[in-house]
Amino acid sequence: MPPNMPQISDPKIAFTYLRPACVLLTRDPTVTNVETLHSQLKEVDDATLQQLQDYVLFPLRFVLKVPGPRREQLVQAVVEAMCHVVHNTCIQSLETLRDLLCELCLCISSPTNPGHPSDTSEELKLSVLRCVDVLLHAAYGDIVFRLFEAAMLPGVGATVSLLLALGEKEKSRDIQAAALKCLQALTVQCDCDQEHVEPSSEDRCLAGGAMASFLPGITTTMARIITGDLRQGHAVTVKAIKIWSTTVGLVLEDTQLQSSKMMKTPPTELGAIRHILVFRTPEWVKSTAGKLCVLLKKIISCTSAHQHWRVRLELVELADHLLAGCSQALGECVGPLLEALVGAINDEDSRVRERCEVSLRDVSKRNQSSSSQTFTDILSENLHSLSTSLPRLMRTSDDQKKLFVLNVFLGYFKVLGPLVSLVLNSSAHLERIFKALMQVLELDVMDVRIVEERSSRTAIEAGPDSRDFYTARTQRKHFLYFTDERIHCVLMEICRTLGFYGNLYLLTDHLLDLYRQSSAYRKQAAMVLNEIVRGAAGIAVETQDHGLERDAMRKSASREDLKAAVMSVIEEYTSLSNWHLITVSEETDRDRQDQQLLSPLSLLSISSNPSVNALQSTASTSTSSSSSSTIHQLNSNIWQLCIQLEGIACFAQVLGTDFRSLLMTLLYAVLEKAGEETLMVSQAALSSMLDISEACGYPSLRELINDNSDYLLNDVSLNLQRLSQHPQAPRVLTVMLTHSDHTLLPLVGDIVQDVLMALDLSYDHTATLFCSVLHALIKALVRWFPASQSMTRKSGAFPQRSNDEEDVNIRQFLLDYRKQKELSEGIGIEEDDLEDLAASPPTAEENVEDIYDPDVKAELPSHLTITKDVMERCIHLLSDPSLRLRLKVLDVLELCVMVLSERENELLPMAHRCWPALLQRLTADDPLVVLRAFRVLCTLGEKCGDFLRRRVSKEVLPKLSAFLARQAPISAKAGPVYTHTLAYKLQLAVLQGLGSLCHRLELGEADLEAVCDACIPYLSCRQPIRLQVACLSVFRHLIQVDPDAFWFTLNELHCPFTYTPPHPDLQPIKLSGMNRPRDEYTDNVLKLLREEFHSAAETGTKESAEGAADS
Amino acid sequence: MSHPPPSPIYTLRGAGGPLNSLHFRCYGEDAPLLFSGSGKGCIHIWNLNTRRTNKVIEGHSGSSIIWVCTKRSKDTLISQGRDMQICLWDLGEGRCDLLDSVWTGSVGFCQCSMLETSPISSLLAFAGQQTEEIKIIELPSKIQICTLMPVAKVGMVMCINLFQPDSCPGPLLLAGYEEGSLLLWDVTQQSILSQVKAHPDPVMCLTFDPTRLRGISGSSEKNLSSWKLDEKNNLQLQGGVTLANPGVSQLCIREDGKLLASAGWDSRVRVFGWKKLRPLAVLQYHTDMVLSVAFSDHQDPRQRLMAAGSKDQRISLWSLYNES
Repeated sequence: MPPNMPQISDPKIAFTYLRPACVLLTRDPTVTNVETLHSQLKEVDDATLQQLQDYVLFPLRFVLKVPGPRREQLVQAVVEAMCHVVHNTCIQSLETLRDLLCELCLCISSPTNPGHPSDTSEELKLSVLRCVDVLLHAAYGDIVFRLFEAAMLPGVGATVSLLLALGEKEKSRDIQAAALKCLQALTVQCDCDQEHVEPSSEDRCLAGGAMASFLPGITTTMARIITGDLRQGHAVTVKAIKIWSTTVGLVLEDTQLQSSKMMKTPPTELGAIRHILVFRTPEWVKSTAGKLCVLLKKIISCTSAHQHWRVRLELVELADHLLAGCSQALGECVGPLLEALVGAINDEDSRVRERCEVSLRDVSKRNQSSSSQTFTDILSENLHSLSTSLPRLMRTSDDQKKLFVLNVFLGYFKVLGPLVSLVLNSSAHLERIFKALMQVLELDVMDVRIVEERSSRTAIEAGPDSRDFYTARTQRKHFLYFTDERIHCVLMEICRTLGFYGNLYLLTDHLLDLYRQSSAYRKQAAMVLNEIVRGAAGIAVETQDHGLERDAMRKSASREDLKAAVMSVIEEYTSLSNWHLITVSEETDRDRQDQQLLSPLSLLSISSNPSVNALQSTASTSTSSSSSSTIHQLNSNIWQLCIQLEGIACFAQVLGTDFRSLLMTLLYAVLEKAGEETLMVSQAALSSMLDISEACGYPSLRELINDNSDYLLNDVSLNLQRLSQHPQAPRVLTVMLTHSDHTLLPLVGDIVQDVLMALDLSYDHTATLFCSVLHALIKALVRWFPASQSMTRKSGAFPQRSNDEEDVNIRQFLLDYRKQKELSEGIGIEEDDLEDLAASPPTAEENVEDIYDPDVKAELPSHLTITKDVMERCIHLLSDPSLRLRLKVLDVLELCVMVLSERENELLPMAHRCWPALLQRLTADDPLVVLRAFRVLCTLGEKCGDFLRRRVSKEVLPKLSAFLARQAPISAKAGPVYTHTLAYKLQLAVLQGLGSLCHRLELGEADLEAVCDACIPYLSCRQPIRLQVACLSVFRHLIQVDPDAFWFTLNELHCPFTYTPPHPDLQPIKLSGMNRPRDEYTDNVLKLLREEFHSAAETGTKESAEGAADS
Repeated sequence: MSHPPPSPIYTLRGAGGPLNSLHFRCYGEDAPLLFSGSGKGCIHIWNLNTRRTNKVIEGHSGSSIIWVCTKRSKDTLISQGRDMQICLWDLGEGRCDLLDSVWTGSVGFCQCSMLETSPISSLLAFAGQQTEEIKIIELPSKIQICTLMPVAKVGMVMCINLFQPDSCPGPLLLAGYEEGSLLLWDVTQQSILSQVKAHPDPVMCLTFDPTRLRGISGSSEKNLSSWKLDEKNNLQLQGGVTLANPGVSQLCIREDGKLLASAGWDSRVRVFGWKKLRPLAVLQYHTDMVLSVAFSDHQDPRQRLMAAGSKDQRISLWSLYNES
């Protein structure tokens, strides 16, 4: 039918129009007839249809009543037609409603058992259910409620059980949903968008009374549906929860129960029905609540962590609805309900969260208005039992469940809000909660890598430019009882919330007690403390801005309180026994030296001093136990330090610029840890330093250190004098120097004198310790005062020569050669000298002399004075028996040379002074030292040039060449064992260093030749391979110095090509290496020729010409 | 068995010169302050809470400052420099304005001595233009009260101490001279009450405890000489202490009369019990001559500090015997 066709509005016309179809249907109940009537019905308008309702319904109902087997299709057609009628009209009489309901139900219930569905088709079931739904919606308000009269109960009961059965057992989701919807409509709790009758309180009471009979059935079935198949759609679960909550809410409504006393007298005329009537007496309510509680717990446990947010939302709704309507009747259910609500407060879905917040706010409002303690009592009781079971739950359940449990835990605190401090006032709660946290937060300290990872000195001393060093964050914590990072986050939020609402003094006191109590709790307590202080300052706490008038109620921790708390915590953290923990297991050389340095002094002070005795004894016990302390213990120590350092960063964040006043003592302690050998600790300290500098408003670490250098240096200076008790002082200085800039120099100058004096006082003991300081110091000086440009250019220009060579043409070369030759014979020397003088670049030294009056000895800049002082000590230390120390000293020496290179006048005397000691290192020391000494010599050569060249060629080279020449035949013949001998190592070291030395010093031809002669034997393939490689490196350097000469030398050894002169006038080229059979040198010579002169074949002709000219 | 010597609780750096004079002001609500006068002509005002300088006053045109003091009543700082000036500074409300100055004419090293006679006025004694002359003026009027000039030849005046004993109506003045004598002057009578030869060498410093009427003086030699003032205002030598190394720059008695500290040329500060001059501790921190010592005037005795200023340009702060 077209939708806009005018409908029949006259009842008479409609009657005559419909009559034939009705009559026909009564006579002959066929599907066609039903459909005819159905289509005709659509042409009648609603008002008219209302008048003809009974008439029209009669044939339809008649069809249903016809005895005998019914055909499903017919029934379905009838039901659909009926549905149309009912949908568009109102049911005005109870009889019609009751009968229709009954007849409809009979259509799909099994004939033998009216409460159970028959196995009719799903379509029919669906149609019937839809019709029932429509019917219930069409009924007049006053009639609907009469369904709940006692007399009607059996009929309604049958319907209810039918619907329950359909809702639970059907496989089709649609049927399930439809059945549940009908059930909702039947209990006058429908939530669809049609108009509904607003029940009066009496009506509700009536309905409640009636539904009380069905409550067990409905609630258990619903609970089964909810907890049933997880695969069923969330829609069914949501509906079921809704029905559960509305039904319970209806039956156990507080207002009804309070006024239902007059209903108690049972009507006498009911007879058998009386037995199924339920009277809501207090006893009944109590026992029902108990049974409901069991169901409720099942439901909550099943849905609180449900995948779908709508289900969780519905659970919140349920809790809200029941708490609002029947919190008194439900009694023991209130606990689980609150728990459900509280658990959802941290839901990942914001809709759930918001709903939950609103609901909780209502709950607490109601609680406040009712002025009963019960709510808080229940909450705190729940909290207590939860914190009791928390450790067990954390050990046994899976991560998802743990997360939920912790969310509930957190939720309680959030709900309690300002009342947290009241709850915590009970010592039982306080202890229980924090014990639980201590157990849950137990760290896994079995990771061996943590102990093993060392921050190499170079990392600590790395300049502030190494960004990755800064960004290195602290390692993730590994917990014993969970792995999910979210769990950690929730735990931390719990702590913050506690700090936010709790009494800061109480909490810090309690936690510090725990901290002191046992080392087992120490790390966790520190972790919790850190977060509590953060929370107390309101950092990273989700404050509901529209919250439960929290702002008014919360006693926000004042700055003073915070500061006092922070100070007490920091005092504990940095106290001797908690700060100076052993983190290194095997004592390295350095540590052993530290110990040596400490032991005699500490013994002295033990004997002379009772008050420091405690300190010393802890130190001595820790040293004695350090050998036996397990990795476990070390690991735990490392973590403790890291956590404490993190804490300090937290506190800085909390106090902001107020933290600056604490830096006076604290910064030193943090730097102490930044200089620590264990990588994790030093990284934690660094990141803590970064946080501090940020919190205190310093733009970078450099400013942090510079601005507080007075505090730091004060402690450094004091502690340098008492190294026995404060062996860390030099490391602090190292860290300072690393991260600071030259503005620190005036203050540092002061300290350096202290360092040097302390060093002078006891060379034997303190040298290693101080050497690293000196190294850091000079390294910093090199960084702060980079050598002037001219110096670097001078050295940089050198290696380019070989490249220029390519472009030189022969003519120019010959001209130059002639000029050189003339020069060497003394022709035209005067003019060249003049030229030389004019051309010689103005060195830094000359600049200096321009500025300072040469007559007056100008005061040296302090960094040069310091360097000179340091270098002086280095000269002494160069002959120290400790190998490590000698190596370190050589490093320092090299750096000193670099700093002093600025002033040749200062450098040369110092170079002269250290020459003898250095010579010893070069010629008669461990190969390692020789190598390092070579490096120093190279640097020295680069800076001093001429000054050193003669000494080297006179004192160093002959010895080394002789050694090499002497050793060459031995090593050539030696077996594999030879590589373990000292001689081999020395050979290797010399060969490795010789090349760059020749290169840097710009040695004369004769020296180069000597070196070359000494090295040639090592080109032999009979030599150990590493010696060959080292020798190749020598030649590579030599070739850079004088490519032509060494091309010639190599070709003399072996020449792979024959060179034809470009012009017949030139003499034929004869090289002694030509046409030689392949011998021991061939491989290496060819390798060199190929690599250093690119392809010998390509450049062969040009080179040969040069070679010819050369010879 | 005795405790080992403690280390300073803190050191103040950056004075930039030898520290000739130290003066605490730690009473009242404000942050405790320490004033130091340096050989480079700077007066540093150190805040002891932050341990940093609040302010640096350069007021004696670069000449060495040999004495700093504050008046108890007001925010007035008095400094004496070797430019022959005594300057009065107003430090109220963060200012540091020069209020007034007095020309002394003295070229010596003798530190002034001030006696506050009433909340508004005070007496100031200083060495005058002639080497043995002592002048006393009243502040703030700058009226000269008297000039004290010994008849006997005692050499240059080295150190003075003005005090008001209970027994006398007028103030008395103790002065140590180059030749080693101590003279007790009656300021109102302008007469010498007593004279005693305390040291063979010049009296470098003296300090006097007006409640016990005892004093002690140091010289360039090893001995500290202790003396007493009897009822008739006669100075009586009581013996003394012999130090390990000669030379004392300054002596200071703590307010409670329990401790005496000496600033030694051997870069050590020595602490004695004042009652019996029992040596208690040798404090070693400085690397050069200690030039000045001072005890703080904290109201809470537990917070009391001792400061020592040295030629090595550092000030060390110590917390000593505060437990009782």
